[in-house]
Amino acid sequence: MTQPPVLFRLQGQSLSYGDRPVLRDIHLTIRQGERVALLGPSGAGKSSLLTLLYGQQAALSALYPQSAGLVDLLSAYQNIFVGGLERFGTLAALWNLVRPLPQARREIEALAQTLGLEDQLWQSVDRLSGGQRQRVAIGRALYRRQPIFLGDEPVSAVDPLQAQLLLEHLLAQHETAVVSLHNRQLALDNFQRIVVLRDGAICCDCPASELSEQALDSFYAEELSAPEASADVGPQGMIPSC
Amino acid sequence: MLSFDRRSSVRTLNGVCLLLLLLALLALFGADLQVYPVDPWHELGRIGRGLLLPAWDDFPLLLQALGQTVAFALLAVALAVPLGLVLAMLFHWRGVRYLCAAVRSVHELFWGLIFMQLYGLGALTGLLAILLPFAATFAKVFAEIFEQQAPEPGLAPGPRVRGLKRYGYTLIPQAWPALLSYTRYRFECALRSSAILGFIGLPTLGFHLETAFKQGQYSAAGALLWAFLLLIATIRYWLRPRLIPLYLLLALWLLPQTPGFSNGGYLWRFISVDIWPAPLRAGDWSGTLAWYSQMFTEQVWPGLVQTLLLTQLALLLTGALILLFYPLATRALAGPWLRWGGRFLLLVLRSTPEMIFAFVLLLLFGPSGLPAVLALALHNSGLIAFLVANASDAEQGSRLTRPDDPRGLLRYAYLETPRRFPALLAFLFYRWEVILRESAIMGILGIATLGFFIDSAFEEIRYDRAMLLIAATAVLNILVDSLSRRLRALARTDAQRQPGLIDPPQKRSPKQTMTRNTEPQNG
Amino acid sequence: MSFLRRALALVLLALPLLARAEPFVFTAIPDEDESKLQQRFGKVADYLSGQLGVEVKYIPVKSYAAAITAFRNDQVQLAWFGGLSGVQARRLVPGSEALAQGYEDQFFKSYFIANASTGLEPGAQLSEALKGKTFTFGSKGSTSGRLMPEFYLRERFGAAPDQVFSRVGFSGDHNRTIAQVQAGAYEIGAVNYSVWESELAKGNVDPSKVKVIWETPTFPDYQWTIRGDVDQRFGAGFKDKVRDVLLNLTDPDLLASFPRQGFVPASNADYQPVEQTAKAIGLLD
Repeated sequence: MTQPPVLFRLQGQSLSYGDRPVLRDIHLTIRQGERVALLGPSGAGKSSLLTLLYGQQAALSALYPQSAGLVDLLSAYQNIFVGGLERFGTLAALWNLVRPLPQARREIEALAQTLGLEDQLWQSVDRLSGGQRQRVAIGRALYRRQPIFLGDEPVSAVDPLQAQLLLEHLLAQHETAVVSLHNRQLALDNFQRIVVLRDGAICCDCPASELSEQALDSFYAEELSAPEASADVGPQGMIPSC
Repeated sequence: MLSFDRRSSVRTLNGVCLLLLLLALLALFGADLQVYPVDPWHELGRIGRGLLLPAWDDFPLLLQALGQTVAFALLAVALAVPLGLVLAMLFHWRGVRYLCAAVRSVHELFWGLIFMQLYGLGALTGLLAILLPFAATFAKVFAEIFEQQAPEPGLAPGPRVRGLKRYGYTLIPQAWPALLSYTRYRFECALRSSAILGFIGLPTLGFHLETAFKQGQYSAAGALLWAFLLLIATIRYWLRPRLIPLYLLLALWLLPQTPGFSNGGYLWRFISVDIWPAPLRAGDWSGTLAWYSQMFTEQVWPGLVQTLLLTQLALLLTGALILLFYPLATRALAGPWLRWGGRFLLLVLRSTPEMIFAFVLLLLFGPSGLPAVLALALHNSGLIAFLVANASDAEQGSRLTRPDDPRGLLRYAYLETPRRFPALLAFLFYRWEVILRESAIMGILGIATLGFFIDSAFEEIRYDRAMLLIAATAVLNILVDSLSRRLRALARTDAQRQPGLIDPPQKRSPKQTMTRNTEPQNG
Repeated sequence: MSFLRRALALVLLALPLLARAEPFVFTAIPDEDESKLQQRFGKVADYLSGQLGVEVKYIPVKSYAAAITAFRNDQVQLAWFGGLSGVQARRLVPGSEALAQGYEDQFFKSYFIANASTGLEPGAQLSEALKGKTFTFGSKGSTSGRLMPEFYLRERFGAAPDQVFSRVGFSGDHNRTIAQVQAGAYEIGAVNYSVWESELAKGNVDPSKVKVIWETPTFPDYQWTIRGDVDQRFGAGFKDKVRDVLLNLTDPDLLASFPRQGFVPASNADYQPVEQTAKAIGLLD
């Protein structure tokens, strides 16, 4: 049986900002069609890893960065439209700021319906709640219409039920997905493969079926008691692995 | 007041912009923008040659002028900051607000002329002429910065902690970066004011610049202009916080002496006699009434109308030019070469005194409102575009940037401009009053603005007229100030997300902080 | 912020020192070449000091108004004023006196100049064709660039300049008046004749683009004016001594700063016509 092609490959990748190491010696291969959840305490390097991955497949990826990077002054519609800018000519895109293009308007209104944003579509996003802003940013990623979804905490600001629905929708729209999450149960329920990061290194990379929420908790529990300086010590040895 | 759609900031801002546009269109009907056929090339050629081949044979004199320009600016700012801070704390009193608006409405040159009546032509006059309007501006902007701080830390100490304690423990530390950044920016403005005060006789750069320009000695003017540009462009290299005490001492030493001046109670003479119309002093009430009504119909009212017409047009054009200029100077939108050129353009626009623009444009277009509007718009757009570009650069690499952001023109339209727009509009409102008082330069264009009449009154040694006209300008400025306060409140999309109008969000990824800590901080 | 407090203290301490007394101080605004004033008039100060036996200082000023203010406030005791500014200053300081005027100032005049595009030709009186053109004076307080031209305009047309012309500007300076009329920015201008002659000689004027179309009758202009209280402060007869020193000034190098070929006696009465004119056009109350 032939394996699907490799989309992302990192071999011993390290990264640091100034003299502060962020990622160290990352080995990771992700193939087409895989659904990968990234877990780990905050500051573990999940966002940096996602940025690295994005660099490898920028043309095929729909990105959801943690800050969402919305433009406050523009309406939800315009913010979502930014995702599709590539598909429109420059003049058409500029005209769209003055008067929404009919085609884009139809598409984005449909998208807003699925995201529950139909009432907020023409408001500027600075007037929206955190959850609504998050859905606008998801809309921008969806409107990219790419086969790969790279998401950094895309459902952190919505209630659990809505999070589950949004995640299902995102996964249904994208063939391949790498998503960082802080909700362990969501990860176990929706993804086949789970990668746990700690202090910039991968400490666990295995199928979701082999993990439980309790097992995952242990990665976070250690963090609470770990001293601040542990970033420099290289704690791999004491971490449970599967 | 206008009602705006509360659900959309962009519609609110569009409403504000539309209002400005309509006012400017109305002004277009009233304003006189005739273009005259001219043959300026002989003179422009000489100016161009002078700029390209600057020459200055008396180097020590140039150094002295530069030193005194810095000395006045530094001392005035050092004194204006604490004074402004105190006034900012009292800014909730309407009286303080009105007083500050009135003080700001008078051009530094006119403050210089007023203080010259009291303290002669010397260091104190120069210092006060910068200090006073700057303290009033500091008061206003500091008060606004305090207003924009998140309210929570202020609540923590409890409701009975007020006044100085509240400022000392919550507001000032909280707002410190914004206060500091604004002070740095104002220092650059103070250098400009200090240079311009040379026009009335202080021994700063403007003294020689005005002479050289007036006499058509364009290579000398070129040398002075280049020296001034260099001074402004290198502020961040020589204005080190640690060196400031040393500079202040040097500045005191550099201040010019005032030969032969003994203060003989001129202040009292000025406020009890000079500024009151002769019929009033003589107790002639009907004469007084006639004096006032003549002044109103011949100078105050026509001057007011001309001033407002020009100001509205200049304001709109300034806005348009900012949108054109600022991308040239940003990291996000311009390549390294273009950005260098853009930064240089903005440096030239904001550092060259408007009088010089007005003179050159007058040669190009002939005497009408057009050179005036263009000169005001070029200078002010250069200044605001510089601040906007700095805000954009500071945000580069912050949380808000994403790797899949659009580039080029689309980035400009969908990202940079909408993000900069509220601050841009706020800056524009700040400049409203500046443009208003800069209309004083219009004398050479034959346009009778309020400033023109004030200037005439000073030239004719008629302080009674000058004071009445200044009072009229002050009232106008108080009105404009309170209107722009309201408009700005509408234009402020989200106070929480914009910690300081002057200071863009400072968060950057660590890597960028490492490589960019030599950034220009004079935003 | 402690340095601010220190600086404040220093400034407050230093302020009295900045206002020192009491040398004999003069100022001058020449009607042409204002560059290197300090250097050139510093020499004049040295000369006066040597002749008068007191310390003499020069302070440069930029405008007639500043010169008048300095004179009024006793910051200067002697000033080289224009015709109008001298009258204004003497009205403000009772007892002050016109001491001496330049030889040329006995019969000073202004030129009306026109851009070639107007097609105006020199004539014995100002042409009717001036009406509706654009026009610039020099400085607002200048005798030859404003007062006298305005007087003759009113006399000729019976109306204020802004009713005669479509636009009236104030270039601020004779040189700039010439530059602007030459460039066509203004069609007509009024200028000090001596500045015109010297610019013409320097080659800064292109006769094919701008020419003189009328010259005013003569009037008295620049003069030395001294405060009335100098005798009490610098010794009896000081005023006469100053007058003598000025009248005997023959060094061409020093005279070139003004620029005049020499000084002749003058009195307040000589400037009566200027004062009348200023009152007639509403520049003086």
